[in-house]
Amino acid sequence: MAFISPAMLLLLAMSVFPLLWALYLSFTDYSATRGGPANFIGFGNYTAILTSAQVHTRALTTLIYVVGAVGLQTVLGFGIAYLISRRTHGRGVLTTLFLVPMMLSPVVVGLFWRFMLDAQFGVVNSMLGSVGLGQVEWLTRQRTALLSLIVVDTWQWTPFIMLIALAGLTAVPKYLYEAASIDRASEWFRFRTITLPLVWPLLLIAVMFRAIEAFRLFDLVYILTNGGPGVSTETLSFHIYKVAFLGFNTGTASAYGILMVLVVIVLTQFYLRYLNKLKEG
Amino acid sequence: MRHPKRIGRMSAPGRKVRLASAAMLLVATTMTACGEGKDDGEKASAPKAPATIPELTKDPLTLSFIWFDWPPAKALEAFANAEYKKERPNATIKVNTVPNANWHDAMFTQFAARKTDFDIAILDSQHIGEAVTNGNILDLTDFVKENIDVAAYNPYLLAAYGQFPQAETGKRDENASLYGLPLLGDTWTMIYRKDLIGDKPPQTWDQMIAAAEKCQADNPGVSGLAFHQANGSDAAAVTYNTVNGVYGGNLWDSKTRKIDGVINDAAGQEAMDVLVNKMKPLTAKGSGNWFIDEVNAAVAQGKACIAFNWIAASGGLLDPKQSTLGTSREQILDKLGFATLPSQKTNLVPLGGMGMHVSAYSATANQTEALNFMKWFERADIQKKWAAAGGVPSRTDALESPEFLNAGPFNQVYTDSVPRMRDMWNVPEYARLVDIENTNVNAALNGAKKPKDALDDIAKEQQGVLDSSSRKGGGGL
Repeated sequence: MAFISPAMLLLLAMSVFPLLWALYLSFTDYSATRGGPANFIGFGNYTAILTSAQVHTRALTTLIYVVGAVGLQTVLGFGIAYLISRRTHGRGVLTTLFLVPMMLSPVVVGLFWRFMLDAQFGVVNSMLGSVGLGQVEWLTRQRTALLSLIVVDTWQWTPFIMLIALAGLTAVPKYLYEAASIDRASEWFRFRTITLPLVWPLLLIAVMFRAIEAFRLFDLVYILTNGGPGVSTETLSFHIYKVAFLGFNTGTASAYGILMVLVVIVLTQFYLRYLNKLKEG
Repeated sequence: MRHPKRIGRMSAPGRKVRLASAAMLLVATTMTACGEGKDDGEKASAPKAPATIPELTKDPLTLSFIWFDWPPAKALEAFANAEYKKERPNATIKVNTVPNANWHDAMFTQFAARKTDFDIAILDSQHIGEAVTNGNILDLTDFVKENIDVAAYNPYLLAAYGQFPQAETGKRDENASLYGLPLLGDTWTMIYRKDLIGDKPPQTWDQMIAAAEKCQADNPGVSGLAFHQANGSDAAAVTYNTVNGVYGGNLWDSKTRKIDGVINDAAGQEAMDVLVNKMKPLTAKGSGNWFIDEVNAAVAQGKACIAFNWIAASGGLLDPKQSTLGTSREQILDKLGFATLPSQKTNLVPLGGMGMHVSAYSATANQTEALNFMKWFERADIQKKWAAAGGVPSRTDALESPEFLNAGPFNQVYTDSVPRMRDMWNVPEYARLVDIENTNVNAALNGAKKPKDALDDIAKEQQGVLDSSSRKGGGGL
């Protein structure tokens, strides 16, 4: 205990206390800049957030984003990992190359994709133009802006899924494939009955991590679209930022943050139960 | 299997002591945080600066500013270190900069912490209400009375950068308190291609749109117009406010704090219609997220017939290294003209620029130095030198001086625009009001909302912000 007490104290001061403090503020009308006493208002902030049409809009945007980005990353990540796992030469080099985007800062990724997706001088439109396709307003139209966010996030985070899936694929015992080959099982049959069931639990953990990350997306939105056009790409995290730092409504922002944490905890619990069931099965 | 004794495990009383210590630490931290909240309540109004400047320190001192990253910030640091040091050799001026989008947050998060790493905050005029209400900046009223020649300024300029509550457009309330002094004046200039639309700039908004339309049709690859449309900072909001003013609209009724029914009245609707249905089609595809830099880039690359931008950000347009319009300043000026904004139903132009405000949390020696700097900066001779160094002064004598008028081709535009200026709201709720307007105007410009719906939403949401003081919970949504 004495050995870990510095770490415990650090954890208390840097993690537990802010969480408890945010929880306390979430029941008040406190504002960090206006000062004054923090008046207790019960569940006022929570009721307002849960019934706010603005929050519902951001929740829907976030949901579309999470499903779109994580879905695409899972398909691509697993696909790439599957193809790499079948190679015998250059596997290490390929894996390292695919991992590069994941190592970059999201702000840097956002900035260079912002230039690449620029409607006037971006390289993406330039390439489309060279094959006879017209200019696309990637970041300034409602549908394409959200799609752009999904594409950029996918570009950066597909390697993460790929890496986990590759670890799972490598761990599949070879003798299972050999037995299947002796039984003259088709490629698709081997994939469906050996590869996928064995990799699936590991893949689901990767999906869970990515979904939690995507759920609290802020940086890419801030750099690429600033939530626009209008508020059509504003995610929940981005909205909290505005509530917290534009109006300095600290009480509301705290309640908003606590609700997001609760959503993640509850969904993760369901997810973990499903994973456990899968394991038991 | 149970282990009767585990190595390293404490005895029960020892554990209790540790747990009690941790709990006490948590409670103490909580009490400290709660205690700060009580202090906040006692400091709810701006503290007063002394009328006369106390004795200045003889020790080395760094006077820090905070601004956003743009050429005037560099110009200010260079100018102040070159000139102020002549009088105060022990003082060094440091202008800290942040990206424009973080400017408000960078200042107000420090204000919220009641500790700032800057002595002078360069606030937008609209930030004054928030800073004053929260007690973040010094009340300079007595200091100004004793040290500043207020008659040397256009009264509205002095009011716009310092007065709270806000002055009526074009006026100054001499009984109101002042919390800042002008640093850099600014407004929009119309930048037009003389080689494409002629030497004479359009005089009315209608003529301007017609000229842009013709120019775009005659010059494939060149868009008729370029202006701010982004949903960050105050980009799209200033654009709408400008057109709103020109078409005779109002942003609000400040006396009754009424927005709904004012901004979206017939004049406001007409302005939104002109902006979205007549001006937007003349802009480049994908320009819906353009702000200062993008508009300048379009002009410099010869891609726009007529553009609107802040004067203080227009200097780079004359740099041949950044332009495709010519290989020398003269060649560029053969093609580019700068004019005051066209008028229509009124001749209003947007008030830009910023003032200097002393942080209430700065050390006393630094606050004293800040006051001395402000007194020095507002002197007639220094204002002229600031003009010659590329700054936009605020004193009338400096604005009409050859030092200023000859320093840039757009400076005459500023001098002519001063009597025509109108500002936004400078209430404490400014940041939220401007965000509502920005996002909705941006939505209308990019087809995410119908213009009328966007304007009605602005009116409704902004009114909701102003009326939300009695609301229990959910403030800020």
